[in-house]
Amino acid sequence: MVPGFWPPPALPSVDRVIELRELTKRYGDQLAVDALSVQVRPGVVTGFLGPNGSGKSTTMRMILGLDAPDRGEALINGVRYRDLRRPLTVVGALLDAGAFHPGRSGRAHLAALAASNGIPGSRVEQVLRIVGLSEAAARRAGTYSLGMRQRLGVAVALLGDPGVLLLDEPVNGLDPEGIRWIRELLRGLAAEGRTVFVSSHLIAEMALTADRLVVIGRGRLLAETTVAELAAGAESLEDAFFRLTSEVTDYRGVGAS
Amino acid sequence: MRNVVRMELIKLRSVRSTWWLAIAAVLSMAAVGAGVGLGYRSHTPVATAAQILDNSLGGAIVAQLLLGALGVLTVTGEYGMGMIRSTFAAVPRRGIVLAAKVAVCGGAALAVGLAASFAGYLGGQLAIRGTAIPAAALGDPAILRAVVLTGAYLGATTLIGVGIGAIVRHSGGAIGTLFGLMFVPMIVAGLFGESGIAVGRFVPLLMLLNSVAVTSPVPGLFAGWICVLLMCGYAAVAVLCGGVLLRRRDA
Repeated sequence: MVPGFWPPPALPSVDRVIELRELTKRYGDQLAVDALSVQVRPGVVTGFLGPNGSGKSTTMRMILGLDAPDRGEALINGVRYRDLRRPLTVVGALLDAGAFHPGRSGRAHLAALAASNGIPGSRVEQVLRIVGLSEAAARRAGTYSLGMRQRLGVAVALLGDPGVLLLDEPVNGLDPEGIRWIRELLRGLAAEGRTVFVSSHLIAEMALTADRLVVIGRGRLLAETTVAELAAGAESLEDAFFRLTSEVTDYRGVGAS
Repeated sequence: MRNVVRMELIKLRSVRSTWWLAIAAVLSMAAVGAGVGLGYRSHTPVATAAQILDNSLGGAIVAQLLLGALGVLTVTGEYGMGMIRSTFAAVPRRGIVLAAKVAVCGGAALAVGLAASFAGYLGGQLAIRGTAIPAAALGDPAILRAVVLTGAYLGATTLIGVGIGAIVRHSGGAIGTLFGLMFVPMIVAGLFGESGIAVGRFVPLLMLLNSVAVTSPVPGLFAGWICVLLMCGYAAVAVLCGGVLLRRRDA
């Protein structure tokens, strides 16, 4: 590097970045995701927050090329997911608990996916150890508890040692110990410089796990903020979240008295 | 493509239904073959080699349903709990996934189909040993042809199952559709009596029973190898339709 010359710090790196541009998905006459533009950066955990049915999972599926957007695009490191040659080595995804064949063992599930991306079989045993499923690996995945299924999903996400991680509701069904485990895992992965994008409808959990927050409601971007900023103007983070999303929930109970 | 084939091979091997269906296909043909042989042995000790062979391959009616279901399940088994999303996240090019399924499942089904067909032949032959009924030798081209073509027919049926699985995506619905396509046209063709053969010669089950799995085809039907090619043609149409839908629909 030339002495005294520093690269401009403001240029966004295209490496390990998720970029959504005007991403839009329509189901019938219902807009599930509405012109969503967001950038998710490496090095921090970004929480993807919104009430149930706000379009989080649909967005995740569009990033992974599973659902086709009606408009806009989702880019990872500047390219569309379906143009990635060995996607598991670039993006690791935990899909809604399940996404496996109930009759296949956890180990065979991982081995099949590893084979598809030319990932060596030794990595399968490694990720099984990381998520603590080595003992149960020979059992059929259909017999796993919800927590074990989530761990299997995390193992799939880690399989290709990817720079970008996408997790849809990872703490669903986990016990307190599992929740702490996943929190520390995600923070560790971000600290290694990876991009970590985690969806949740639990504001309290996100407050502990995430640094940045992307809040959506009815498919629209409500806020791109940090946990500290969101909590600032309100009595509690929860109040701030409810205020933000109060206009955009499709359901609401009233007091039971 | 090689990696994707390896994935599909691991998937096919690692679910029990594959093994159950394959074993059941072989056993059902062996059982029908042996049953036919034993029947002739005790009741009709005068029969030709061709009669024994034609009837002892009759278990293919059951085997085609079992192996067709195997083809269906290689696709629809992934939809039950969302495995398909893991698959497409690992390999976003869906056409390649389907091509790999066709290669792996089709190859396995051809091998199992040939084994089942041979088991039917062998069952029949073992059951008539020591009687006056002449043995059918595999060295006889007409006998060998029927055994090999029956195996190939079963392999093609499996691929029709793969295609229907990709179109319907639901195990029950797809297996029902496959069974319907196997039996309903035969019943319809039967309604037209003698003239039904003009249509009937295109119907899978009629081709199987009257041309593919017999030593000499019934007059009016295509030769056995043409029937198998027709089956492959049906499979190609089903798989191509399934492929187009797979690429268009959200997973």
